[in-house]
Amino acid sequence: MSGKIQYLSEEWRAEAERRLKAEITPEKMKNMTASLANVFHNCPDGNAWWLFFGYENGELARLEVGQGDPPAAEFTVSGDYDVFARISRAELGSQRALMTGKLKLKGNMVKALKLASVVDRLNKVLAGIEAEY
Amino acid sequence: MNQQDTYFIDFPARVKAIQAGMAQHNLDVYLGSRLRTTSWVLDAFCPWRSFVVIPAEGIPTGFTFVIDAARVADESWVGEDNVRGFAPMGGQDQIGQISEFILDLLPGGKGRVGMESGMSNYLPEGWLTHYEYEQFSAALSGCELVNAHTLVDELSLIKDAGTIARFREASRQVDEGHKAVAAALANGGWKGLTETEVAGIAALAMRRAGSVWEWSFTGGNEIASGPRTGYAGGACTPATQRKLAAGEPLMVDIHSMFKLCLGDHAHNYLIAPATDRQLWHADNFVRIVTATLGAYRAGISPADLAEEMMGLAEDGGFADYMVPGFEHGIGMMGDEWRIGKNDGPFPYWTNPDHVYLENEVLICAMQYACPEDGVGFRYENPIVLSKDGCEALSKYPLGVDVVE
Repeated sequence: MSGKIQYLSEEWRAEAERRLKAEITPEKMKNMTASLANVFHNCPDGNAWWLFFGYENGELARLEVGQGDPPAAEFTVSGDYDVFARISRAELGSQRALMTGKLKLKGNMVKALKLASVVDRLNKVLAGIEAEY
Repeated sequence: MNQQDTYFIDFPARVKAIQAGMAQHNLDVYLGSRLRTTSWVLDAFCPWRSFVVIPAEGIPTGFTFVIDAARVADESWVGEDNVRGFAPMGGQDQIGQISEFILDLLPGGKGRVGMESGMSNYLPEGWLTHYEYEQFSAALSGCELVNAHTLVDELSLIKDAGTIARFREASRQVDEGHKAVAAALANGGWKGLTETEVAGIAALAMRRAGSVWEWSFTGGNEIASGPRTGYAGGACTPATQRKLAAGEPLMVDIHSMFKLCLGDHAHNYLIAPATDRQLWHADNFVRIVTATLGAYRAGISPADLAEEMMGLAEDGGFADYMVPGFEHGIGMMGDEWRIGKNDGPFPYWTNPDHVYLENEVLICAMQYACPEDGVGFRYENPIVLSKDGCEALSKYPLGVDVVE
């Protein structure tokens, strides 16, 4: 046993929620109200998974993991599971992944630019979870 | 603007007239791409490659380069939700984003889309249009037309000594423009000045120094004051008739041309009294510009540099205010955008992994913007890359000057 949590499992989701709430203040989240869905293609189990973040006034209100179609979100980022895993292991920056076309963003780009650094903060916290991919 | 205003135009009525024409021609969507169309429909200056998508019913949506989208939204009647910005990112390049938008308007993704193809004698870039291609193909029926622009693009990437000398002279002219602006602002001279007057003061000084044109297609000299300096993600500010005011920032981004080579330098001010918060922003800005100029050299890539500088900004607590790009391309007149060759993941955008070479010239460019504080600063300066660093061609001292 490696002692690592399986990425996108319920245990991982709960740990992610705990850390995001503990480590990122509403001020650090620019008190934003927004939603983001990450959609994972080519997952190891052959299914499409999603990870949904819902923020209200900078507070994490929803963090959900599921399969199939994600809930409606203001921003949707889609790409291969492996790309998200590399971001979560801090091997690849999310902005670089977007700039090189490894990830695809759907949503208003002007608003997304305002949130680019915020998303980096989320990823930095998630990268701290020892996970099995 | 109300209907009694002398300059009132009924833009919703214009759109309805277009939509009536679309119905007559059995068009489900109209994809406008000409400057005349964006002006006539959006009522906003769109100097970057822009598009407007007109649905069968409802308000049109404009698409422009993301660095100018917030300003266009601010000036157009269609509103923030109906102006989108495109960028070289997955799902956000102009073809992908606009296509997806159009498909969402069409049931089952099927329909007739009106578009604009023809030719004209004026437009800066000069790509062969679809119409011209068809006409040349017909007129040269025994020939094969081959897209070959990469030949010129590759050959013009490294600047020779004469080109660099011309750039150096254009930057000297820009510095004269900045000196004239600084002199005009000093000792209370800023009072009553408008952004356009500042643009004119700089233009006169640069022309006296030998410049023949404030070449930028983005409105010549870009002057912004007050909250116009801080558009989210913004980096394009054609001057307006807005008056300078005490306690506000002022951004002076001016352009000269000498023997087809281009001066492009931005300097920033705070009109006193400056608040502690404004000075904090100014310090951040000077810090990151200094670090960026210190980091540029042959052998690195735009993505390397962006990651390093955004890391510095995050550590300094100001990453939220940085546009994550630190350069744009430059060459002789007409070559003002992409860095390097057309070999990146998004066609006709800078390759983020382009490895800089010695004697490339680019504009070290960055935009700092805090819309909530109504403050922003811009830096632009042509730099020549060498093995160990870069030479900044404009010698005007870096800083955010507080005008007492």
